[in-house]
Amino acid sequence: MRMSKKIAVDRGGTFIDYIASIDGKFTIHKTLSHSTRAVQIIADTASQVINGNPDFISHGTTIATNAILQRKGARTALITTQGFRDMLFIGRQHRPDLYALQPSIPAPIIPREWCFEVPERILHDGSVHLELDAKVLFSIVDKLHEAQIESVAVTLLFAYVNPTHERLIKQFLLEQGGFAEWQIALSSDVLPEFREFERTSTVALEAYVRPLISQYVAELQQAIPASISIMKSDGGIISADRVRQQAVQTVLSGPAAGVVGALYLARLSEYENIITMDIGGTSTDVALCPGKLSFHPHAEIDGLPLRVRMLDIETIGAGGGSIAWVDEGGALRVGPHSAEANPGPIIYGRGGTDVTVSDANAVLNRIVRLLDGSMELHLPPALEAVKMLRNRISLSTEDTARGIIRVANSNIIRALRRVSIERGYDPRNFTLVAFGGAGPLHACEVAEQLSISRVLVPRFPGVMCAYGALVADVVLEYSQSLVQILDSSTPQRIQTWLDTASTLAHDEMQDQQVQHVNLKPSVDMRYLGQAYELNVPLNNDLAAEFHRAHQTNYGYHMPDKPIEIVNLRLQAVGQVDKPPLTPHELVPNDGANALIAPGHYHRQHLQPGAVIRGEALLLQFDCTTYVPYGWMAAVDAYFNLIIERTANG
Amino acid sequence: MVDAISLEVFKNLLVSIPEEMGAVLQRAALSPNIRERLDHSCAIFDAQARMIGQAAHIPVHLGSMPASVQYLIEAFDHFSPGDVVMLNEPYRGGTHLPDITAVTPVFVDGNVAFFAASRAHHADVGGMAPGSLPLSTDIYQEGIIIPPIKVIEAGKYNVAVLKLITANSRSSDERLGDLEAQLAAQRKGAQRLIELVDQHGLGTVIEHANALIESSRRVTETVIWDIPDGSYSFEDYLEGDGQTHYQIPIKVTITVRGSAMTVDFTGSSPQVAGNVNAVSAIVKSAVWYCVRLLVDDDLPMNHGCFEPVTVITPPGSIVNPAFPAAVAVSTTETSQRIADTVLGALAKALPDKIPAASQGSMNNVTFGGMFNGQQYTFYETIGGGHGAGPQGNGLSGRQSHMTNTRNTPVEAIEYVYPVRILSYELRANSGGKGQFTGGDGIRRVYEFLAPATVTLNTERRMNQPYGLQGGQPGQCGRNILVRDGKQIVLDGRASIQAQAGDILIIETPGGGGWG
Repeated sequence: MRMSKKIAVDRGGTFIDYIASIDGKFTIHKTLSHSTRAVQIIADTASQVINGNPDFISHGTTIATNAILQRKGARTALITTQGFRDMLFIGRQHRPDLYALQPSIPAPIIPREWCFEVPERILHDGSVHLELDAKVLFSIVDKLHEAQIESVAVTLLFAYVNPTHERLIKQFLLEQGGFAEWQIALSSDVLPEFREFERTSTVALEAYVRPLISQYVAELQQAIPASISIMKSDGGIISADRVRQQAVQTVLSGPAAGVVGALYLARLSEYENIITMDIGGTSTDVALCPGKLSFHPHAEIDGLPLRVRMLDIETIGAGGGSIAWVDEGGALRVGPHSAEANPGPIIYGRGGTDVTVSDANAVLNRIVRLLDGSMELHLPPALEAVKMLRNRISLSTEDTARGIIRVANSNIIRALRRVSIERGYDPRNFTLVAFGGAGPLHACEVAEQLSISRVLVPRFPGVMCAYGALVADVVLEYSQSLVQILDSSTPQRIQTWLDTASTLAHDEMQDQQVQHVNLKPSVDMRYLGQAYELNVPLNNDLAAEFHRAHQTNYGYHMPDKPIEIVNLRLQAVGQVDKPPLTPHELVPNDGANALIAPGHYHRQHLQPGAVIRGEALLLQFDCTTYVPYGWMAAVDAYFNLIIERTANG
Repeated sequence: MVDAISLEVFKNLLVSIPEEMGAVLQRAALSPNIRERLDHSCAIFDAQARMIGQAAHIPVHLGSMPASVQYLIEAFDHFSPGDVVMLNEPYRGGTHLPDITAVTPVFVDGNVAFFAASRAHHADVGGMAPGSLPLSTDIYQEGIIIPPIKVIEAGKYNVAVLKLITANSRSSDERLGDLEAQLAAQRKGAQRLIELVDQHGLGTVIEHANALIESSRRVTETVIWDIPDGSYSFEDYLEGDGQTHYQIPIKVTITVRGSAMTVDFTGSSPQVAGNVNAVSAIVKSAVWYCVRLLVDDDLPMNHGCFEPVTVITPPGSIVNPAFPAAVAVSTTETSQRIADTVLGALAKALPDKIPAASQGSMNNVTFGGMFNGQQYTFYETIGGGHGAGPQGNGLSGRQSHMTNTRNTPVEAIEYVYPVRILSYELRANSGGKGQFTGGDGIRRVYEFLAPATVTLNTERRMNQPYGLQGGQPGQCGRNILVRDGKQIVLDGRASIQAQAGDILIIETPGGGGWG
């Protein structure tokens, strides 16, 4: 069935972004976000934008992220195996900052007095060494009620092999404790994989955000009579109903959508290998896509491990609002402190006094107006502040402003190196896709430093995350730990699990009215004694496939060493209808019709085929693109800017 | 030309090289000790063996690596492109035998311009006990000794040497995998340095490396300048050498004059019979680490941080022993006590800044034996309480000061080794009281399912981690063996033959209280 009216909505901290495709034309919109009235704003605006009731809403949200970062999740308790109640506090027992006089760790999301133990023990082979003593649960339930606990996480050792005890506890909480289904998260459901700390941390985070997401989703469903899907950290969408069981999957909801949107657009323009760079006010998200999305093997949020499939997105505290300063050794530094939204950069004229990256851009005439002129730009105080800073490092005002941008860029470049070179990719083979409020301002200079010769700026760089939600596919993940030596019995065991999981996947896709479903089974394997696994696609000769993968990844393999199966995985991808994008004819022109001042063009008037040589500024409502000397911008058939280094540049 | 901006750009560049080396080493290594616990470090050096960039890995490795490179320069007449040197000998550029260091001279225009180095703790290099941290009385009992040897000479593998090294380990497959991983990290480091020179030119790179050293030196001098001039002494003790119980003093006198600091260990114990003697590279590591703690900024750690600090270690003492004194646990236990001593002295100068003592041990647990017809060795260290300080309570159950290795997951251990973990929890109220409370230690309980040779090297079982400014000391750690229902309190250093059904309880120390 084809949905006729679809809108994508991305709810961020400051703005809510909207994009819809109606009769082949895109409409974009932005409203201010609001903590308590957001659902109503979304409902009203969505029907305005789309001119009627939407049939389908694809939604990205920062609710889970913010609940975790601000420690404003549900009142959550943990129940675990006797002897292990402190797992969340000990972690992997390292400190995050090596050279801190008094190191600190992220505040736990569950206080120690709400961590409870039950006598029971299951062994690594799934056998029950000590039966669960249910009597102790009576007193635990009393304490849960006393503490007004809203959500319970349950992690028992080796529950991924045998979940019986976890399920008994759930049954008890439902029947004797008065808890509802959505108030209980079991580790054997949320992450049936080994390594107890990472599993516990993940299930605790799930329990912590589940009531909030559950409630938010219910409100959305009530306010908007449409089919609602939610963007996940892995770049896929799932139904609002399912997200209530997998709430923590939404922590990278927004940034993941940006990457998905960028990759979709870049592929359309036939650039397979891209690095995305989303520069906002306080942070920058970068991700590398070698023709496909890439995933983080050891993801975390705010220092808390979160082992769900998340895009490999590197976030650093550098953005337009990052503050420039001079350290004791005389080096110019930028960030990590930020002027935030309030007071913001000096040029906003809202009381900011610290020089930010945006101020430096304004001093260099790279930011010449704000929000299409609807907000006044205060240049003189920014100039004064940069002059004060320059006196401390003996450079000219212009060089100081340039320097601030170079230093900010060098921080971003380090993040780009981490996602590219450190993962074994040469950035020179990639196109840099720049978006977010400040991405297109910095893109060419960042590219220059990494010897990247092409930059792509999408048509709507300011609402890329909403755009990503619009084109994202339905992605369902299933996994099961099965730790055993690879032998002749393995294929049968894999098949048995795969049959069950495939049936589940097809049923759920049917509920989502998705027609084309692609199943990708895979297996995590390692050599006996290794600590980390390699994921290889399921095939007839698993051993050979694994040896090959090991050779490719680490440069050697060990044909005589026994191989261990660790996890079975099934990914189901349901293709969603994308808004049609038809290429426009390229009519070579110099963009003169869009010229609004010398070197300044309005992007809205630039047509496919336009070519503009740097140095130039391309202005649009929510974003400015800076094309330096030696670079040339061309508007492609889809209204993207393709900016390339010219031969003698 | 060096300016404030290019300085910052190069700071990032020089850190990214050892970071990339570390990533390769971790991903390619075989042993849980490197891949799960990340017991390894990487750094780069200029032609004069001055450290110009390091990744933040394990403090005790990083400060001691310059000695390896320095020794190399003295040991070899010349290098050829494609050489890679390995060494572990404490008296010739190493620290203790399990830490094997690989160094690659990097050539530009026919001359050595840089060195890239990696160090990894190998879980077994032979010797008298599984895990190579025995209660030894000379270095020959601690494992295979590798003096600086070109394992790759002008690009040609010396396969015989690699075979010799791996044949001396109880887990030779694993050793080979880990050594290969180290060589892969070396290739990465050398390649990235060459790329850096290709992109910017050697002159520019050296100019900026020099400027970064200079900048770190200035910041370190500022920090020392802020310490009131004077002499500050402190003494703390190790609880024996693994052979005999007695208080082994480590004494330090820190003298601050303007922006220079001298850290003098005169008055410390003569070298001892057992395994706690620390070569001076370890001592310098601990001292530099303590000084680095005083800088609250993300200052690049390089040679400039070392220059303003002079370290004096009397020859023949526990902090500068003569060959062939035993050294096995100097990196873990002695290094921690040196840090406690130096910080104790600094606390007299900076009472409002320095926190109380952290747990002061790494609680080394090593065991091995036969299981399913195969030799196995297992090694781990256990976190404990951090000292409280003016900024608040100490962390509980975490690694402190000279190490930062991860734990091994219970679900990983029980699957591979014949042992069951019965409990892994915080020791409530083990931190010292005060205005701010010291962090709690850890209680980790092992049940052996098969006979095993167990070696414990733990400290702070008799002397409590000190409190400061009126804060109470943290609780001592305890090691207990439960056999047939009877509890036997073990020494801090113990070697036991465990039987199936034996239960080993390790309780790690709490941190000192403050105020």
